[in-house]
Formats: sequence, C-alpha cells, structure tokens
Amino acid sequence: MTVVGKTWNRLTLPGKIVFTAIPVVLVLTAGLVATIVLLGGPILDTLAANLPIVRFVVAVTIVLLMTIPTAFLIIYMEMKIIALMNLRIGPDRVGPYGSLLSVVHGLKVLMKEDFTPTGVDSTVFTWAPVVTYLASVMTLLVIPFAPGLFGQELNLGLLYFFAIGGLSVVGLLMAGWSSYNKYSLLGGLRAAAQVVSYEIPLTLSVVGLILLAGTMNLNTIVTQQAGWFTDWYVFRQPLGVLIFFIAATAEAGRTPFDLTEADSEIVAGFATEYSGMRYGFFFFAEYVNVFVISALTVTLFFGGWNAPFPWPWPVDLSVDPGSLGIALLLLAAVVPLILTLAFAAPIWIASNRIKGWQALLGGFVLTNIFIVAVIGAWAYIGLDWVAGLVWFMLKTYVFVFIFVWMRGTLPRVRIDQLMDFAWKWLLPASLLNLFITAAAIVIFKTLRPS
Amino acid sequence: MPVSESHQSTDDPRVTLDRALGVFEPVPPYPPRTEREAEFYTLGDGQMFINMGPQHPSTHGVLRVVLKLDGEKVVDLDPVLGYLHRGVEKLCENADYHQAICYTDPLEYVSSLFNEWAPVLAFEKLMDVQVPRRAEYIRVLSSELNRIASHALFLGWMALDLGGLTPVLWSFIERDEIVDMLAALTGQRMLFNYFRIGGVNGDLNHDFMSRLGEWMSKATEQIDSGNALLNENEIFVRRMRGLGTIDTATALRMVMTGPNLRATGVPFDIRRAHPYSVFPELEFDIPTRTEGDCLARYLLRMDEIRQSLRIIDQCLHNMPDGPIMAKLPRLLRPRPGRAYAAVEGPRGQYSTYAISDGTDQPFRMRIHDPSFIHLQSVGLMMPGHLLADTMAIMASLDPIMGGVDK
Amino acid sequence: MSVVPGLGIVKGMALTLHRFFQPKVTIKYPEVRLDVTPKFRGRLQLLYDEWGTLKCETCFQCAQACPIECIDMGGMDTRGRFHVHWGAPETYGERREESALRRSGRPVPDPAFVPFGAVDLTRMDAILESFDHDPAQMLPILEATQAAYGYLPVAALKHISQKTGAWYAMIYGTASFYSHLRFEPAEAIHQAAAVDAQRPSEVSYLTALDAALGRDAGQPGMPARA
Repeated sequence: MTVVGKTWNRLTLPGKIVFTAIPVVLVLTAGLVATIVLLGGPILDTLAANLPIVRFVVAVTIVLLMTIPTAFLIIYMEMKIIALMNLRIGPDRVGPYGSLLSVVHGLKVLMKEDFTPTGVDSTVFTWAPVVTYLASVMTLLVIPFAPGLFGQELNLGLLYFFAIGGLSVVGLLMAGWSSYNKYSLLGGLRAAAQVVSYEIPLTLSVVGLILLAGTMNLNTIVTQQAGWFTDWYVFRQPLGVLIFFIAATAEAGRTPFDLTEADSEIVAGFATEYSGMRYGFFFFAEYVNVFVISALTVTLFFGGWNAPFPWPWPVDLSVDPGSLGIALLLLAAVVPLILTLAFAAPIWIASNRIKGWQALLGGFVLTNIFIVAVIGAWAYIGLDWVAGLVWFMLKTYVFVFIFVWMRGTLPRVRIDQLMDFAWKWLLPASLLNLFITAAAIVIFKTLRPS
Repeated sequence: MPVSESHQSTDDPRVTLDRALGVFEPVPPYPPRTEREAEFYTLGDGQMFINMGPQHPSTHGVLRVVLKLDGEKVVDLDPVLGYLHRGVEKLCENADYHQAICYTDPLEYVSSLFNEWAPVLAFEKLMDVQVPRRAEYIRVLSSELNRIASHALFLGWMALDLGGLTPVLWSFIERDEIVDMLAALTGQRMLFNYFRIGGVNGDLNHDFMSRLGEWMSKATEQIDSGNALLNENEIFVRRMRGLGTIDTATALRMVMTGPNLRATGVPFDIRRAHPYSVFPELEFDIPTRTEGDCLARYLLRMDEIRQSLRIIDQCLHNMPDGPIMAKLPRLLRPRPGRAYAAVEGPRGQYSTYAISDGTDQPFRMRIHDPSFIHLQSVGLMMPGHLLADTMAIMASLDPIMGGVDK
Repeated sequence: MSVVPGLGIVKGMALTLHRFFQPKVTIKYPEVRLDVTPKFRGRLQLLYDEWGTLKCETCFQCAQACPIECIDMGGMDTRGRFHVHWGAPETYGERREESALRRSGRPVPDPAFVPFGAVDLTRMDAILESFDHDPAQMLPILEATQAAYGYLPVAALKHISQKTGAWYAMIYGTASFYSHLRFEPAEAIHQAAAVDAQRPSEVSYLTALDAALGRDAGQPGMPARA
C-alpha cells in the first residue's frame, strides 16, 4: 500500500469528506468566478429582465431568515413575561437580562440527539416538522411590513393566508399519526379537530371586513386605514376583531386553546416523540405562528404600518450625502471626536472618582447612542418604510405580549367546550357580524348614493 | 371472559404485533390474573388503552393509571399503585417509639406534622402521657400552619393540572413563607420531625414568632388576591363545575373523610367529632358544601384556610405558659396493649393503630392514610369524563403518592 | 361566575398585569443566600473543643441510633490504637481488602494493617465453626479466641467480623467492655506498664512549661490539671 493510501485510511469519515470536498469547492469557485467575469453582463441582464422572480427569491430568503430572530425574541418574551407575572425573575444569566437564553436554547436543541423511535413511520415523522414550519413561514410572505416591504403582493392575499395557515394542521396530523404513540395521536387529532373548527369562524369574521374594504389585497386594506387611528377597521368591526382574535388564538394553538400540546393531559401532544431540532422546528413554527397571527390582526384591524396619527410636521429631509463633498469626510472625522469630548466632559466634571479614561469611554458610548438616535430619527422622518416598520413591529409585539399575557393567566379549556364555543358561539356571532356589516353597507349606500 | 389456562403469551395478538414491530407497549398482565383484569383488559370496539404514569407530568407522584378510552372518553380505568412503597409500617416496628415517629414524616411529605401527630397521639394513649397545655397549643398552631401550606399547594396544583401556569407559583410563595416559618420553629423545612411523645421538640422562638406575625398581617389579603385569579374565571369554573361529582351516600360508602367528604355536605371533622388536643377550647366552623364536585372541593379548601387562620389567631392569643415536654423516662416501654388515634389532616383522617408487646418497639403499627382511601373513588368518578378531566378529578381529591404507597 | 361573560377573565388578566409590575420574590441563590434559621437541624458539622481537637470520641452512639443508618464513621479508638469504623462494609479497609483483591487480582495495601503482625488464622475457623458463626455468641467466641492465642489479635477480630457479619466496631466494643479480654499479649501489657511507670507524667511537663513561661499554674482559661 502506498503512503497516500495509508494516510487516506487513517482519516475519519468527516476527514475524507473534507479532503474530497476542498478541491471540488476550489474548482467550483474558480469556475464561478470565471463565469461571472466572462458572462457578468448577460447574467445581470437576465436578472434585470426577470426582476419579479429575483425579488421573490430574495423576499423568501429574508422571510425564512427572519423567522429565527422572531422566534427567539418571542420565546424570550414568553419566558420573561410569564416569569414576571409569576413574581419570578425569569432568565437573567445569559446575556443582558437573560435575553440570549433563547439563542442558547436554540443551540441546545440543535446539539441534541435527533432520535427516531422504533415503530414510527420515519418518512412522515421526518417531514412533519418541515411541513408545519413551512406552513407558518409561507404565510409571512403576504404580510405587508411597511410600504414597499412585503414578500409578494397578492390580490387574494387574505385567502392565500387562510389557505396556507390551514396547512399547518397537516403537519401536526402527520406528526401525531406517524409517532406510534397514543399521546401523539390524541394531540394530532385534537389539532385537526380544533384547527378545522376554528378555521370557519376565523374566515367568516373577516368577511365583514372584506365587504367594507372591497378587496382581499392586504396592502390595499392597510392603505385604506391611513390617517388617524379612528380610521382603523377595529372601530368599524369591533365584534369581528374579537371573533378573529379568539379564533386566531385557537388556530395558533395558544393558551387557553393549547389542547394540542396540553402537558398536564397528553404529555406534549404531537411533539411527544420528537427530540432535537425536529422538536425545535415545531416550536419555531408555534412562535412564528404567534407572530403571524399578531401581524395579521394588526394588518387587518389596527392599521398595519400606519401610525395612529399623521405626522404633524411634514418635513423634507432628503439630504444627498454626496452633495456635501469634502465636508462629508470632515464631518465623519471630526464630529465623533468633538461629541466624545463633549459627552465625556460633564462625566469627568461630575465626579472626581471617575478617571479620565473612564469618562472618555462613557463619552464614546454616549456618542454612539447619540449618533444612532440621530440617524434613526432621520430615517424615521425621511424614509417611509422605516416609520412603517417601526409602527408595524410595535403594534405586532403588543399583540404578542397579549398572547403571552393570556398564557400567563388562563387555564386551558376542555375539548368539548372548545368545540361548543366554536360552533355554538363563534360561528353564529361571526355570521351576525357579517349580516350587520352587510346591512349597514346597504343602508349607508341607499342613504348616500355617491 | 373466563380465566383459562389455554391462554399462552404467544397467542396474544398484541404480543405478536409488538414482536413484529419490535415495540413493547406497557401491555397488561397476560394471561389475566383475575376476572376483573380479564374484563378490564378486553378492548371493545374502537377502544384503546392509554397508560398514564408512573412518569407523567401530572399524576401527583408516581401513580400509574391505565385508562380505557373510547376516543377521548374514559370508559374504565385501573390505577396501579406501589411505585413508592417503602415499608414504613415495618420500619416503624423495627425502631423504638421515638424513632418510629421520624419514619412517618415522609409519608405525605406536604403535611408532615399530621403524619407525626397520629402516631404520637397513639403512643401517648398507650403510655398514658399527659401532654402539657403549652405543647398542645404549639402543636395546634404549627399543624394548622402546615394545613394552610398543604392547601395552598393543592390550590396551585389544581390550577396547573388545568393548564394555568401562574397560580402554582403564587401558591408556592405562600407555602414557602409558611415552610420557612416552620423551619424556624422545628428546624427542618419539610420533614419536620417536631412532635415528641409527651410534647414537642422545641419551644416557640423569636425567629418563628416574628415571621408568623409578619405573615399573619398580610395572609388573608394575599390568599384572597391570589384566588381571585381563578374563582371567577369562566374557563376554570366551567371546567370544574359538575366534574367528578360524588354524592353523600357514595362518599360515605367509600369511607371518604376530610374536605372531600365535607364537599358532599357531611360536616364531619375529627377535630369536632372526636376531639383531641385542645380543639374543644378553640372556636372554628366546619365549612361544608353540598355539590360534591371538583369546584366544591376546590372552594371548600379555600374556606378551610380561613378557618385555619382563625385557629392560629386564637392559639396565639390563648397560648399558655409552661413546659413543652412531659416528664418521661428516656427509654419508653409501655405496658402491653393497643391504642388508636386519629387526627384531622388537610386531606382527611390520618390515624394510627399501635400494639405494644411491652418492649421498647411497637409490636404492630398500622397507618391509615386518607390519600389511599380517596384514590379508590377515582374509579367511580372518572368513567364518562374526558381524558382532560382525569387529571382535574385526581387533583381535586388531592392524593399524595407518598401516603398512598406508604 | 360574574354576570357579564368574560368579566372574570378580564379581572384575572388585570391581576396578572398588576403582579407583572410588583416586586419579585426570587432569591438569586449563589449571589444572595438567605440566613439559615438558628434552629435549623439539617446542618452537618463536627464540633471542636477549645484545644482545637475534635469533640467526637468515635463512640458510635450516633451511628447506632440513626434510624435510617445513614451515618458512616471511622476514626481511632479512644486509646488511639486501632482504626474503628461503623457503616457500610464496602466503605472501609477491613472489609474492602478481600473484595478488592477479588476484583482486581492484586494486593491492595491498607496502612491500617501494617502495624499488626501476621497471625495464623486457621485456628479461628475451628472456633467459629463450633459456635456456628453466630454473632449473638460473641463473648464466648472472643473468650475462645483469647484462649487460643493468649490475647485478641486485630487480625482475628477482623476475621470474626468477616465471617460472622458483625460490625468490627461492635466486636471491638464487646471486647473492650470486658476487663478479662486483652488486645495484647500479657507480657506486652506488663512491659508497657513498666515503661509507663518510668515516664514523667503530663503534670510535670506542664508545670515545667509554666515555670519556663513564667506564669501562674492556676490561671483561668488554662486546662485543668490532673
């Protein structure tokens, strides 16, 4: 055996893979570079010609990536807010105020063993979390985050939302059915029954709104609510909001309707047999669902990205940095220095126990905060989408807070009460809402034919 | 289905299926050992078994319940006990009279003082010991505190089993304050080992009294405000009302005692019915409710907390001076005889029956525990209810598996 | 339940929101430690006397009284000669040696065995056989052993302990209780007594020390002199 052969045999499997992959990657990279250099122009032209496709791919990637920090943030909120309501402190070890704990949790589930128990239908078992996760991520595509900031503008956006949102139950049912565990089965079937039942009042509760808006395009619905906060649809559809919110809670499987994973009854429901990242995907899906539901509530009823009041001092801050010329360089070089000294001086004067370097450090930090604040304010006033995003996220997280707050307060309902509530109360109420809305529109149009 | 010898385990279709899949479900004993087992473990059309416990988030310890379900509806159930059996009675018989008391502590680990009180009372009867009045008052005071701690824990677990995350932590705050207080008095947090034959281990001290005073000033308000979360909550009340109903006759037939019996309308309380200690001198009511369902049991315990606060208040006002231990020989050798004593605990009647053969160890010591008795009635309560309610019914009876399995 | 449906839920939500802003009760344990109440009995500690030596005399009364047999203890006996132990057999040298040999196949040195010479234990087996290895007949066994060897060798006591299953400490306690049983050959005891008689007593050491330091022998705080 040759030296090369011996060395090759000593390598572990990952080592063999790496040593094989390195030349392949090198060749591919070289080829890619060569292609771009040689065919750069035509590629750019093709991309420019198919801009909607490029835009869609980029939007999907961003939406997919966005779910991770969103889920982490909501998990952290859930841990911290429920802890504070329980008179506990909650996470406080990892990161400032424990804010990185959910990241650590994410890493933990990544590193755990991805275990497939004996007897499960392994194909279905593996795909179930993917289906659940994708169903919740895909709904994010039509949510308008800010003016011009949305994945895809669909004329039937709302319908798309409900259609895809209903798919998540397929994943849960797959998980419950394939797990070869009776608790999982019960959880999956509960999920199916619950989501299918609540889909109807959920959809019917927004029909009144669709009548008012005359469209299912979410962007249009948001633009219709511009102006003062009294223009929001919540004031024209109060019953609709209530039904929508309750049904959406059930749809997302949140307390008090979290029967699918009721830990005191059926251990962890459909997720009982899952471990590692597959379990993590279910929980990502759940928290993304919370975000999506909150976002949709905001979009439909609470003005979306519109501020609750029109900006009272319309100013034009369209500064072109290029017009400053050499002054921009001076600005960038001198202003931070001056600001640092200006902020450090009062700190240094205020207490003689603070050393010079500490004061400078404090000044530097304050300068950074100040500059970020200035740029933020400029962006808020100058850029529509920044202002829209700020308001949208603010409102959405208020609703996320309400979801968490409900989880901290309420006990769980029973499955028969859940069904009773959906069919005997929510469905008639949503039909009533639809009837009143339609009648009001007819009366209004008869009285004031435009 | 008759119990026949011809059943071999290889004929069992379930076992064959399990072998084929390589999976071993918790299958029942096969062939069945009794008629009842044969009946229970025969599945009807569309029925299935589900095995709750011994590792389940909410079986209050290591209880295993095999449920026969039709969909989510419970058809029949078979509780399996004994996972926490420690042979406490036998251990007590191998220890002398002082040592036996400390074995009874961890029986029901949330209400240890009552577990101590019953054997102490029985041994005192056996030896004709006159307990000093101050010791009796201290016993009443500390045990009523323990009752509140136990009930507070119950209220929290009840909510947790119905899916409420918050009440359990609020009631743990309550309980921790009491338990720390009792630690200041007795020297231990949970397994107090405080009562002695002829008195108590230590006198009231400053640490305990200051903590007690601080707690008493805010106790009522704290308990009320915490309970406001659930008492009026529609979801909670709707789930609890009419759940696990048991009528007076059945409750008496199942020998239920304590709050579970009083929730069916029988004002039976050993502190009044067969008074012991200084309870005849104290003024308190026996709260009763007539519904006999989970909500009644839940609310009744809340009323009992208020009565316990009343008793504590009176104890503090009437606390006499004097010794806390009777004069006793170091080695206790009671005359041959037998004695029975019962106390009213937070779960019902705790009693001890002790036989002495004249040596320094009890010849026989029988411990009667309310949790075990109450657990028998789940077979009457659960069928017909949903799977989600099994845990609520179980929680409303408040069994502690340490006491059930002894 | 309240008249207006949903009012109870709203009240509950208001209560949790109120608690959200209330001070928290968590104690951040490793940084903040609550005071343990003075009455606390769960503390495990051995007390020292004013000379800085352990007050524990290794009398095993605590271990014997412990109802759940959770106390293991070991130490020198009151005369400072032998290692004595109480507790689970696997824990200590005299029980460990045989099983460790069996397990590892090589000798395990135990310093506690070194001072005691080898003793021919074949005679012990006959003695134990005649008493049916009954630990209840410990005194006759010990008397027979002394008759065979002239004294009670430590190795013999350990052999009895191994064979009968009685605790070494219990056998040692039985042997030390009776004045007619001895742990050394009679001549060694006489020799030791003779040496002891020639040794200056402790009192004379202390008196000399006081004289050297120039202080009064009856000073308070000093140990009482025999």
